Amino acid sequence: MHDVLETNDSPMTESPTIDLQEVTKTYRGRVHALRSVALQVSPGEIFGLLGPNGAGKSTLVKIMMTVVRPTRVVGTVLGQPVGHKPTLARVGYLPEHHRFPQWLTGRQAIEFAGAMCKMPRRARVRRTSELLDVVNMTDWASKRLGTYSKGMQQRIGLATSMINDPELVLLDEPTDGVDPVGRREIREVLARMRDEGKSVLVNSHILSELELFCSRVAILVQGTVVRQGSVESLTRESCRYELTVRALADQLQGIDGASVEPVEAGISRLTLKTREAADVQPVIDELRRREVTILEVASARDSLEELFMNSVTDPVTGKELQPGAGRKGRSDVASFASATPPPPPPPPSAESEGGAS
Amino acid sequence: MIQTLALLHAAYRELNARKLFWITLGLSGIVIAAMASVGLNERGLTFLWWQFNLALLNTQFMPVDVFYKIIFAELVVPYWLAWVATILGLVSTSSIFPDMVSGGSIDVLLSKPISRTRLFLTRYLTGLLFMGLQVTIFSTLAFFVIGIRGGAWEPWIFISIPLVLLFFSYLFCFCALMGLFTKSTIASLLLTMLFWFFIFGVNSGEAITLAGETANEISTQLSMADLEEADEAGDPIEVTGPLTERLDQDQASLATWTFAHQIAFGFKAVLPKTDETIELLGRILRENAGMNVERENENEGRIFGVSQRISQREFEERIQEKRDSRGYFWIIGTSLLFEFLVLWFACWRFSRRDF
Repeated sequence: MHDVLETNDSPMTESPTIDLQEVTKTYRGRVHALRSVALQVSPGEIFGLLGPNGAGKSTLVKIMMTVVRPTRVVGTVLGQPVGHKPTLARVGYLPEHHRFPQWLTGRQAIEFAGAMCKMPRRARVRRTSELLDVVNMTDWASKRLGTYSKGMQQRIGLATSMINDPELVLLDEPTDGVDPVGRREIREVLARMRDEGKSVLVNSHILSELELFCSRVAILVQGTVVRQGSVESLTRESCRYELTVRALADQLQGIDGASVEPVEAGISRLTLKTREAADVQPVIDELRRREVTILEVASARDSLEELFMNSVTDPVTGKELQPGAGRKGRSDVASFASATPPPPPPPPSAESEGGAS
Repeated sequence: MIQTLALLHAAYRELNARKLFWITLGLSGIVIAAMASVGLNERGLTFLWWQFNLALLNTQFMPVDVFYKIIFAELVVPYWLAWVATILGLVSTSSIFPDMVSGGSIDVLLSKPISRTRLFLTRYLTGLLFMGLQVTIFSTLAFFVIGIRGGAWEPWIFISIPLVLLFFSYLFCFCALMGLFTKSTIASLLLTMLFWFFIFGVNSGEAITLAGETANEISTQLSMADLEEADEAGDPIEVTGPLTERLDQDQASLATWTFAHQIAFGFKAVLPKTDETIELLGRILRENAGMNVERENENEGRIFGVSQRISQREFEERIQEKRDSRGYFWIIGTSLLFEFLVLWFACWRFSRRDF
């Protein structure tokens, strides 16, 4: 029931960090977790991956990290085919509900992650100290993870994902369990990484947060990308001017291009679907002619949350789409998406079928 | 190499964190202390400051060093290391694979630049590290006890390290496979115990049928000798008739036992040889470390109350001969083949699976 909207507002001058042409994952029993997903993430970009529960967000990230084997994948991560293990030394990953051995201290957990990325001892010891400082956990570095709160474990998790100074970081619900101060610190860390030219892909349900720091987003519904682009471009269609006036709705009939709705007793709101202030002037003139008091004139657009809700709502029935992956056959989203042109043919070297790793 | 060392280091930290490793080590220390407390002199046994006079067990019967080697190879290793310490080892290590493949943990490991096969095998090695450390410390202490108390500095004692480790690995590979499939520590441990019990059952069945076959072989040979003797003496049919009938019965019984043994042996052939692997220690010490006891004083009892004709000594010698005829390759080679197949299957499954 949704058209796949892709905006081309961020032309990629450099080769993309993540360039997925087609990712499909079908579990046994014909559960379609991902259906020909395509998305690109540029260097120096914070990319948000949104979607309802079971939409396939984590599966997509896990495929890139070789935790899940794809049914079919065409694409590259850092210029190498998806599933190329040595490339993972340049990638950081924080899984959702990550679990480090509870007998390790915070410092040991970060150093262990560094060693698994083949970092020499001296480098990982130095980097661990830096990262403990970055995530504000230096005082707790020698305590066992078992004694940490959820938020503290999340901070250590974030540090482990950055130990190898990665060019790309994939974060699955990074602010889960973190207090507001910690969330702001995490946002600052992500912004710093972006400024250093690194790419960050964030998978989160907290849309207001993603709106704060994501340059582009993709919305995944039932294993299909239904929206992709910058928040600004995706919400451009919803740009409008809202005029709050002291008048009854009946007094405002006949004003061209404006829809009217009552707000409270004697107060109404006129909405004009336009981005141009010039389009609003004739309406203001008309209101003055009718001697209507204008209380407020404001430009508005949909929030990311509204965009998300629009994406997961069937425009025909007005009901939210079923959560989870599609089963046996085609989902509502897939049936609509199938009408869109297929993705361009991939380069042969980047193609693999039946799994990576 | 950095990754392997990191995984081994993490495993060591895990062992350190788990009290059971130290409890097992402490219990091993007590066993070694008990072994050192026992002594042998010309009058009999000693335990600490107590003297127990024994006519059949003193230094005239066996030298002190052989006494300690026998305690080590026939009592301490089979009953402590191959039973109690192994159970404690399995309890301690059975969580390695379920913990590794649990959600959140496996994501962290698989997202690193290490192949799944290498990750699996390295984790498997870390499991063996538990038993390896235990048996190495234990054997070193035993080496000193035998050296100080028995006066023999016997390097062959250290052969127990690979043998016990092999024995443990037969069970641990199965435990790893079950842990991978069930994702449950308790389930993998119980299934491993069940598997061990099954091997024990097959071993016992094979041992019983081997004993039956051997006893009937001897009985048949004796019946044939009796019949030949009667024939040579020209005894009448009244004498040879019952002998022929007995030979027929013995041969029929032998055929039944042989068939039963072949079935039991067939089962045993494809399973890891837990008993034989541990028994190799005694065999190697007998062959290389002079762990022999003169058997002149042994009684000449009869076995199988029904068949009073078979001497216990001949019966035991034949059994031992048959068991000793099973070569090192058959014992270790077929067991390692089993282990290889189990590990290969586990690796294949681990490599193909989504987490």
